[in-house]
Amino acid sequence: MAEPIIKVRGLHKYFGPLHVIRGVDLDVMPGEVVVIIGPSGGGKSTFLRCLNLLEQPSAGTIEIEEIRIEADRPPSTYRHYIRPLRMRVGMVFQHFNLFPHMTALENIIEAPITVKKMPREEAVAKAEQLLEWVGLSAKRDEYPSRLSGGQQQRVAIARALAMEPKIMLFDEPTSALDPELIAEVIEVMERLANEGMTMVVVTHEIHFARDVADRVIFMDSGQWAEMGPPEEIFTRPKEERTRQFLSHILRGEQAARK
Amino acid sequence: MDKASCPEKPTKGWRRIWLPGPEVFSILPKAARLPLVLIALTSILSLLYAVSCFAGSPLRLQVTSAVQDIAVSPSASLLAAAVQDGTVRLWNSDDWTMRTLAGPGSPVLRVGFTPDGQTLVGVCADGTILLWDVPSGRVIQTLPEGEPVRDASLSADGTLLAVLGESGIVRLWDVAWGAVFREIPAGEAPRKAVALNADGTLLAVGEGKRILLLEVEGSRPPRVLQGYWRNAAAQEGWEGHTGEVIALAFSPDGRLLASGGSDTLLIFWDLEDGTVAGTTEAHWAPVVRVAFNWDGTYFLSGSQDAKALNGRPASQTVINYEGHLGTVTGVAFGHEPTVLYTAGDDGTVRSWETVNRSQTHMEWTRVGLAPLWGEIFAWWMFGSGILGLVFLWAMGRMRGWGHLMAMGLYLLGILLMLVPILTAFLLPLVGIRSYTLPWPLGLQVTWPLIVVALWYGGLIALLTREPVALCYEAPQGLPLAEQLMAVRRTQRLRFGIFVAAVWLTILLVLYSVLKGFNLNVPFMGHFFEFIMTGAGITLWLSAASISLAVVLALIGALGRLSHNPVLNGIAGFYVSLIRGTPLLVQLYIWYLGLPRLNITLPAELAGVLALGVNYGAYMTEIFRAGIQAIGKGQHEAAQALGMTATQTFRRIVLPQAFRIVIPPIGNEFIAMMKDSALVSVFSVWELTYRAQKIGRQYFRSIETFLIAAAFYWVLTVVFQFLQGKLEEYMARSERR
Repeated sequence: MAEPIIKVRGLHKYFGPLHVIRGVDLDVMPGEVVVIIGPSGGGKSTFLRCLNLLEQPSAGTIEIEEIRIEADRPPSTYRHYIRPLRMRVGMVFQHFNLFPHMTALENIIEAPITVKKMPREEAVAKAEQLLEWVGLSAKRDEYPSRLSGGQQQRVAIARALAMEPKIMLFDEPTSALDPELIAEVIEVMERLANEGMTMVVVTHEIHFARDVADRVIFMDSGQWAEMGPPEEIFTRPKEERTRQFLSHILRGEQAARK
Repeated sequence: MDKASCPEKPTKGWRRIWLPGPEVFSILPKAARLPLVLIALTSILSLLYAVSCFAGSPLRLQVTSAVQDIAVSPSASLLAAAVQDGTVRLWNSDDWTMRTLAGPGSPVLRVGFTPDGQTLVGVCADGTILLWDVPSGRVIQTLPEGEPVRDASLSADGTLLAVLGESGIVRLWDVAWGAVFREIPAGEAPRKAVALNADGTLLAVGEGKRILLLEVEGSRPPRVLQGYWRNAAAQEGWEGHTGEVIALAFSPDGRLLASGGSDTLLIFWDLEDGTVAGTTEAHWAPVVRVAFNWDGTYFLSGSQDAKALNGRPASQTVINYEGHLGTVTGVAFGHEPTVLYTAGDDGTVRSWETVNRSQTHMEWTRVGLAPLWGEIFAWWMFGSGILGLVFLWAMGRMRGWGHLMAMGLYLLGILLMLVPILTAFLLPLVGIRSYTLPWPLGLQVTWPLIVVALWYGGLIALLTREPVALCYEAPQGLPLAEQLMAVRRTQRLRFGIFVAAVWLTILLVLYSVLKGFNLNVPFMGHFFEFIMTGAGITLWLSAASISLAVVLALIGALGRLSHNPVLNGIAGFYVSLIRGTPLLVQLYIWYLGLPRLNITLPAELAGVLALGVNYGAYMTEIFRAGIQAIGKGQHEAAQALGMTATQTFRRIVLPQAFRIVIPPIGNEFIAMMKDSALVSVFSVWELTYRAQKIGRQYFRSIETFLIAAAFYWVLTVVFQFLQGKLEEYMARSERR
């Protein structure tokens, strides 16, 4: 069996006196799609942001490929590993966070050119390929303010992919979208999963979790409450908390359908 | 509004090309008929008036005519003025009653009295010489000369007349005989001035930069006064003219000759040894006339700088008499030693009093508005008459533009009439005196204009009435939505026109008030270019300073946002110190402090440093706010892509922050352009310093500062426009 590409051991995160993540372990295999669900304030986003060091973990270790971050030791000891780590991990945000002063294409080629020192022509060619892959070739020269939310998020995905990451993190990628725009983003994410990308996704999209995820984690109060294959979690949840949460979500979705 | 009452467009037909026929008129609603009648009436009356003016009718608004020369009769009871319109005006100097001596029509150039005061000699520009009998006012003799004249001089005994023709030939006339007894051929250089001495024995001719002295009766070669070096060996201290001699006068005792030049110098020559007895440099434009009083102890000179100078010959102390609005073309001493007379091409004759050095009286060559007004008015009436007919035609065809243009035409007319009405009538009412006329005369002169302006006002009121406007401007037979859109469009346009009219009116009032400052317009014209040159310096000073300020502000903002206590402290101190002290004080510290450290900077550089450092401090806060306004998400997105903090700042944060700070930077730049005036304390030749310098030198600060103010205004208006364009460009990524 292959080595896990992400290995998290005993991760803790404090915001001042607030204990947000309380000792979490996780192994993710290459090509695996892990979906984290759970009530808000449960630490899902914080956990995701810890994975690429947007938040500094307070304790524990994170290993991604051969890079090992030991958060117990002073930050100066692992500071120079942060950027190599981030170049292996792409991230998509809830609010897209596209650069508003750049066109879609410029957004995508920015990081390859400044960070990877890729020649411009190469970056542009790659960006055009990616735009086509997310179905936005026509919007190449539009500024983000002229794109819909779904289009913006697809550009954001292309932007993250332009760095050729091994792992993609999705932080509630569809929460800020109008319901009719969610599908186009989900569709892109599904294709990405089918192409074998390792993904860690925080989402409320139960359908995505059920159809695409290899493993679903229910997170509550900074800990894994339950972990397992989607059919198990969604059909036979062991924990009362999981059951409650799922019934809330499903009721919400039904209400939205009406 | 009942749209049904509006008529359909007249049916097609060749007859409709001309005026609307009676059948069109009858289907027009009543509200729309009246304006048509009134516009037709206005246009026809205007045209009739204009044509009668061009035919020379007395209806034409009277204007002034320039005075070319004045002379005082030997008894000092009469003042004669040679006028451009070809007449001579005679005033009684006690009660200022006026008589007009008619001439053949050519402008009268020079006048002089014979010693008995019974005969007046006038020289016309076409060369005719006229002799009037003063008591009867009739021409007693006409001597045709046959060549246009440049200058002429009558000897004090009234027997000799020297006339300088265009060709440079000087003809000496015996006035009693009415014949030329000597012709002096033209010289090598053009001749511009001629003068006879008191007893008629000596003739002075200005030829180029030299003066020739010839004996009237003898045939000895002329003496030449052409100036000399005070220190001949070193070629230093030139005494003499450096430009053409254009005015000459002998002192009554014949010992001095005064010469005025186009080089602005007034030189007194000692005729005994041919040396320069003194030079007056108080004029700043060519000196065109000069005269001595009866015993030669005082002189009076007139110049294109619109002022007269009075003083003792060769003395440095001279007194300015200012008030004329153009070249002072005639100067004369009164019988009493304290009275001076001057005349100018502004069409006025003025008397001055030397004890209080003030103007005591002013006469106009005609009762009327400022020169040109009659002409302008007549042409306006002509043009507006024709345009009125064109718009009438359009309105008859139910064209909206005719209606709009007619309103614009009459609005323009009101504004045009407003200028003289304000200056001659309204402003004197509230105590603001412009040069034009004293109050009751103002109404006399402007009442035709007031009537026309009121008539136009009535027309506009009628045309803007809603039933009338809707009838013309909503295209008939179109869908209602399009009609409504057309109405809204015209409403917007009309609003814009009226706002522009308000601006123009305020400008006109301002202009009229400024006229009350008694501004010396030729002076302003003369130094306009000199002050204008300062605008360029102001502009580059501001541009350089704002560039420095932007760099400092960026560094300052980074310091203020820095977590490094040293950088943060430095930036905080900089902002606090510079914002806590006045800019003027800072300027003085830069200017006076640096030399103490043995650092001497060019004044411009010191100014740029002071302004840049000062504005940098203010703009630090702007930049800080701009940088902080960029959300956390942008930082995170960039970092998640692996960008370093520097790359994030340079590529992501700064471009966005710049877009936010561009409008405030534009404001700062406009403010700085005006604060750059303070750099005048460094003697940098920018707008304000130039205005100050010239203003102080000629005691005409108001004029020069007004020019400077106008330039600052123009600059800021231009930059506000450019700033708007830049913001539009910067906001292109936000357009939806």
